[in-house]
Amino acid sequence: MAPKKRSVKQSRQIAMVFDLNKCSGCQTCSVACKMLWTRDNEGKDGTDYMWWCSVNTQPGRGYPKDWEKMGGGYRDGMLQLGELPDRESFGGGWDFNYDEVFYGGKGTTAHLEPEGKPPEWGPNWDEDQGAGEWPNSYFFYMPRLCNHCTHPACVEACPTGAMYKRDEDGLVLRDEDNCKGYQFCAKACPYKKIFYNHVRGISQHCIMCFPRLEQGVAPACARQCPGRLVFVGYLDDAKGPIHKLVNEWKVALPLHAEYGTGPNIFYVPPLSSAPLKEDGTPDDENPRIPNEYLEGLLGPNVQDALATMRKEMAKTRAGKKSELMDILTVYHWEELFGEFTGDPAASKLREKRSK
Amino acid sequence: MASSNPSTPAKRNKGQHWADTYRDQIRWDDVKWGTHCVDCYPGGCPMRVFTRDGEIVREEQAATFQPIEEGVPDFNPMGCQKGVAWSATRHGEERLLKPLRRSGERGEGKWDEISWNEALTEVADSVLDAIEESGPESVVRISGAEAVNPVGQGFSRVMGMLGSVTTDVNAEINDFSPGLYLTFGKFNVCSSLDDEFHAELVIFFMKNIAYTHIATSHYTAEARYQGTEVVLFAPDCSPSHMTADYYYPVRMGSDAAWALGASQVIIKEKLYNEQFVKEQTDLPLLIRLDTGRFLRESDLEEDGDEEQFYAWDTAKRRLAPASKTTLRWGRVKPALRGRRKARLKDGSLVEVAPAFDLLREHLNRNYTPEKASKICGVNAGEIRKLARKVAKKRTLVWAGGTSLKYYHADLMVRAVNVMLGLTGNWGKKGTGITCWSVGFFDGPDITAQKTRPGRRAAEAAIRQREDYVAAFKAMDDTWTDEMAGIEMAHYAASNGLIGMVPPAFFWYYHCGYKERWNNPEWGDPSMKRSFDEYFEEALDKGWWEGVSRPGPETPPRVLIQAGGNTLRRVRGGGTQLLKNLWPKLDKIITLDWRMSTTGRWSDIVLPVANEYETPGFHLSTPHMVTLFHSEQSVKPPGMAKTEWEIGLLLAKKLEQRARKRGLREYVDAYGNTHTLDDLHDRLTLGGNIITEEQVATEMVRDGALTDSLPDDTSLAKMKKQGYQRFTGLGLSVLDLNQAGDIEPDETFNHSTWHTQKRLPYPTLTRRAQFYIDHPWFLEAGEEFPTHKENPKMGGDYPLGLTSGHNRWSIHSIQIANRMMLQTHRGRPHLVMSTVDAAKRGIEDNEEVRVYNDVSDFLVPVKLSSSVQPGQVICYNGWDPYQFRGWRGPMDVEPGMVKWLHLAGGEGHLRYWPFQWQPTPVDRAVRVDVEKVREKDLAKVAAST
Repeated sequence: MAPKKRSVKQSRQIAMVFDLNKCSGCQTCSVACKMLWTRDNEGKDGTDYMWWCSVNTQPGRGYPKDWEKMGGGYRDGMLQLGELPDRESFGGGWDFNYDEVFYGGKGTTAHLEPEGKPPEWGPNWDEDQGAGEWPNSYFFYMPRLCNHCTHPACVEACPTGAMYKRDEDGLVLRDEDNCKGYQFCAKACPYKKIFYNHVRGISQHCIMCFPRLEQGVAPACARQCPGRLVFVGYLDDAKGPIHKLVNEWKVALPLHAEYGTGPNIFYVPPLSSAPLKEDGTPDDENPRIPNEYLEGLLGPNVQDALATMRKEMAKTRAGKKSELMDILTVYHWEELFGEFTGDPAASKLREKRSK
Repeated sequence: MASSNPSTPAKRNKGQHWADTYRDQIRWDDVKWGTHCVDCYPGGCPMRVFTRDGEIVREEQAATFQPIEEGVPDFNPMGCQKGVAWSATRHGEERLLKPLRRSGERGEGKWDEISWNEALTEVADSVLDAIEESGPESVVRISGAEAVNPVGQGFSRVMGMLGSVTTDVNAEINDFSPGLYLTFGKFNVCSSLDDEFHAELVIFFMKNIAYTHIATSHYTAEARYQGTEVVLFAPDCSPSHMTADYYYPVRMGSDAAWALGASQVIIKEKLYNEQFVKEQTDLPLLIRLDTGRFLRESDLEEDGDEEQFYAWDTAKRRLAPASKTTLRWGRVKPALRGRRKARLKDGSLVEVAPAFDLLREHLNRNYTPEKASKICGVNAGEIRKLARKVAKKRTLVWAGGTSLKYYHADLMVRAVNVMLGLTGNWGKKGTGITCWSVGFFDGPDITAQKTRPGRRAAEAAIRQREDYVAAFKAMDDTWTDEMAGIEMAHYAASNGLIGMVPPAFFWYYHCGYKERWNNPEWGDPSMKRSFDEYFEEALDKGWWEGVSRPGPETPPRVLIQAGGNTLRRVRGGGTQLLKNLWPKLDKIITLDWRMSTTGRWSDIVLPVANEYETPGFHLSTPHMVTLFHSEQSVKPPGMAKTEWEIGLLLAKKLEQRARKRGLREYVDAYGNTHTLDDLHDRLTLGGNIITEEQVATEMVRDGALTDSLPDDTSLAKMKKQGYQRFTGLGLSVLDLNQAGDIEPDETFNHSTWHTQKRLPYPTLTRRAQFYIDHPWFLEAGEEFPTHKENPKMGGDYPLGLTSGHNRWSIHSIQIANRMMLQTHRGRPHLVMSTVDAAKRGIEDNEEVRVYNDVSDFLVPVKLSSSVQPGQVICYNGWDPYQFRGWRGPMDVEPGMVKWLHLAGGEGHLRYWPFQWQPTPVDRAVRVDVEKVREKDLAKVAAST
C-alpha cells in the first residue's frame, strides 16, 4: 500500500524535540538509524556513506562539511537552489585493509588504516574540537535529521513529483518508484540532509521511521537514545510535551528558522557551565557558549528560552517544583513518545513480509 | 576471512512497492534476549535481538525496566551505540572464523587454517610439555576481562584444574583503586547508578561520564534539572563539562590538593559531622607522637593485642579501647582534639594525640585553600565554597578510572575520602564515592564447587561454604562475615587454592620490568631507597607469601590469552613483552572472536563465539543490581565454537594426550595434587552437564539458593523476562563488600551496614582509615593523604600524556569494527591543544611523532581547544596494529608501579583477589610531540 500523496491541506504534524542539555554526543541515535536503514551490503545498496541521522559537535563544520554555507531553502518566499553536497563533503564510508594486516604476511609493516588516501572528512570528523580558549573552551552536540519541514523546499524543487508531504502526519517522503535522482531536492534542502544513492540512481533521506510509526513504535533515533532526550509526537497535542516545550514554555526552537522551511525538529538550547574569570572564579553572569553563536543557530529567541530554563532551574534548586523541569526530567521514559510507545519486539511485527 | 552480512537492509523484491521495502525492514521472525557480557560498566544493557531467516537482523534496547523508586527516573532504554550495533561485529572483517596456526615467523601474519583436532592437540601437548618439564606454573593465563560470561568458562576451568597461574585482571588493566582500598579495606564500594538522582551535589573526579557511562549518564542531567549541582574537576574541559554547572580546571595529577584544601576548611569552620567522624572513621584513635604509630594494646600490656586501638574518653578521662565489633562508642566520649599521655608497658609515658588533631594540623600547615590553590590551580575561594557545599549537601563523588591510574592516585582518592568522611557523605542516599564492582550472582561459584548436578549438590556446596565461614570465624569471633570472607580469600590465594596471582611479580621476573621500576629518573623522587631494596624487603618479610609467582626459577613456557589483548593493554607496552617475554615462550595461544594484536602475535588462534551466539549472563554489578541474561540467537559462524565447548574438547584432548605419555597426575609447588584422567568428568559434573543450556540452568538455580535472587528464579524465567533484579547481596566476599541492603523499591547504597548498623570496616582499625601507620607509609610521609608531584615517568619532557576511555569502543573490542570506525576519524589520533600545536607548527590531522626516553609512536593529531595546554590525550584502547609499526601510546609508558603498594604484613595491607597489590600506572607520562620527518617513517619501519 502506498502512503498517501500530498494534499493541499495538511491536517497534523509529527514533530520532535531534542533536549541538547541531555545529549552526550554518543551517536547511539545515528548508529541505530544506520543499523536499521542504511547498512550496506558490500556496496550493493549504495547507502554505505549515508548517515540520515548524524550528531555533530557544535561549533563545527558539520556533516556534510560546511553545510550551513551551501544555501537552499527560501528567501523572501522564493525557493533557493543551493549547492549540491558532493561525496567528499560527506566523507566516511571507509574500507580498511584487514586482510593485508591480519593475513598478508607483512609483519608489522602494514597497519590497519582506511584504504586509499588518508581520510579528510566524515560524519563525525570534528568531534569534540569545539571553539573558544581553554579553560573557557566550549562545545555541545547536535543530532540532525530531516526536519520534515512545514514548507519543504525539497518538495517544491522536485521536478517529478516524487517528493511529497504526508497529510496525516506531515512526514516528508519520497516515492522512490518515481524518483529519477535529479537531486533538485538536495540542492533545495538547506539542511543538506538528502543523500544521493549512486547504485539506485535515486536520492534518499530520513523517513522518520514511518513503518515504525505505523505500528505505534517511536523512530529508532528517539526510542534508542540512551540520553532520554528525544520527544516525539504530534505538535498539536496540547497535552503532550512537544506542544508544551515548543508553544507554551517556548524553550524548544527550530534550527536556522531563517532558512524559511518551517522545520519540525526543535532543540532545547544548551545551558553549559559557567565560564571562568582570569582569577579562576566562575562568571555566573556570562554564558560559556557565546550568545551570538546560539542565536546564529537557533534564532534570537534562544536567549528567552535559556532565561526560562535558568529561572525554572532556580526553582528546583530552591526546593520548589517546576513543570518545565519535570517535563525535561522525563521520570518515565514512555513520556517521551506520545502515542508511539509501542514495542518493536511486539508480536505483531513478527514476519509478515509483503510479497 | 569475513563472510558477508546476510541481513541486507532495504533489499528490494522485484515489483515491490517502495514503501513496503521499508516496512519489511522492521519485521522479524524471531526475537531473543541479548546482552553484552563484556567488561563494560554498568554493561548488561538488555537488548532484543531480532533474527530473520536464522540470521541476526539487528538489535534494539528492550527498554522494559519498571521504575524502581518512586520519584526517580527509570533506567530505560539503556544501551549505547556499541550495544545497538554489536551484531555488526558478528560478520565484521576482524571476526575469526577458523582455527589458525602460525606458518611464518611469530608476528609475521602467515597462517595455516587447521582443524580443531589439530589445534587442540597442539594446545594440549604444549601445556603437558610445560607441566612435565617446568611444572604447572609455567603455564600462564593472562586473564581476560572480556571473557566474563560465566557460562563460557569451560576453557578457563580446565586450565584452572591443571594448576596453571592466572594473572589478576585488576592489576593488569589497572582497575584496582588503592586509594579506596586503603580507606575502606576494599576497593569496590559502589552504589547503584540511579542513586545519583538523590545527590544534591555531584562531583566528577577524574571521570568523563559522557564517554564512560553513556547508557546511564542521563541521571546527571535529570538530577541537575531537579536541583542537583554538578561540578567537574579535570585538566581538560572534557565533554562532561556540558552537564556541569562548574568546571574547575586542575593541573594534571594535583587533585589531592583541592580535596585537602576543602577538608581544611571543613575542619577550620567546624563544618564536620562530629558523630560520623567519631563513629565511622579512625580520626578519634590515638597516635603515638614518638613513633607515629597508633597506640596499641601491645604498647600497654605484655602480650597485648597488636590490633586493639584506643581513643581518649573525655567523660572518664582515660584511654578507651575501640570496640572491634561495633562502631558505636557507647558511653565513651572520644576526644578529637588535644594531647594526652599514655603509660606504656615499660612504665614510660608517651604523648598521644587523636588522629583528628594531627590531620587538622597537617591540613592547616600544608593545605589552606591558598596553599592548595597554588598546587592545583583551583581558586582558593572556590575551594572554600566547595567545602561549605560538601558539608551542607548530600554529596556524591564519581571516581573515574583515572583515579586508579595515576602514580599517586591513592593519595588523591584518599584526600577525597577525607573530605567525604568529615562531612558524613557515604552510607546514605545520594552520597558516597562510586567506583566499580562486580557481585551478587553467586550461581557460577556454587556450580563450580559441585561434583554432581542438581539442587541438593548445590545446597551441600552452600553448607560446606557455611562451614568454612564458621571455621574462619572461630579463629576470631570479632570478625564480621565480610571480614571472614576476606580471610578466606586471602588464605585461598596464598595457598594456591585459586590460581590467581598479582601479576607484578610475573612482570618483574619475566617481562623486563625490573629495570624500568628501578629507574630513579622515572620513579618517585621522594623514595628514600631503591625500588629493589623495597621489593626485597617486601619479599623477605613474607608480605607476598604464596602469591609472588611464577618466581624467577619458573620461567613461563606457555602463554594463554582468552578474551583479552595483553599486547594492547599492558602498561609498559606490547613491545616490552615482545622483547622480554615472547622469546621465552614455547607456545602462545589466543582465544578470541576477533583478531587482536595479541592474536596476531600468537602461535595458535582459536575462534570463539561472540555475544548472541551462546547463552550467558552479564557480569552483574551494584550499578544495576540486576542479573542480565543473554540467549543464543544464532550459532557461531564458520568454525567458531563456544568457550564451553572448547573446554569440553580440550578436557578430553588433555586426558587422551596425557594418557599417551603415561602422565596421570602431578604435584604443584604448593603440594596440591592435580589429576589428569578426570578433567572432562569434573567439568561436566560426572558427564551430566554437557550443553550451555544445562550449565546456565544449574547456575541460575544455584544462585537462587542464596538470598540474592528470588526463589523462583530459573533459566526459563530469565528467558521470559531477560533480567532479574537482585534481592540480596549473596555470599561471596565481593558481594558482602557492598555492605548494604538491596530493597526492591529503592536505589542501592553501599556501606549502609557500616553507617546504620555500625558494623566495622575490614581495615586494620576497623574504621574508615585515613591514617596509615605502616612503617613504609611513615617513611614515605604518606600516613595522611598529601599531594605529591607525578614522577617524570618517561623522562623530563614538557607534555603529559593522558588516556581515559573513548566513546567508540569498550577497550579494543569494537575498535577495529568498520561500523564504529566510521563514527570518528577511522584511525587513532592524539588530541592536542591548539596552543601546543601552534608552537610546534602542527596542524589538524597531521601525523606527528610522540616520543620520550622509553619509545616513540606516530599518530595523526586532532586539535582541540578543550585540552589543557601541556596535556595530550591518546586513548590506550586502540589496537596496536592500528599504528604505524604497531607502536602506540602504551609503548611510551614505562608501566611504573608505586613502590609503596608492595607494603604488607599489617592489617588490610595484603593480597586477596582483585585487591591490594601494585598496579602499573599510565597517566601523565612525560612526552614531547614533533612533526614527522621522512626519516621517522623509515625508522619506524626499520624498528619493527
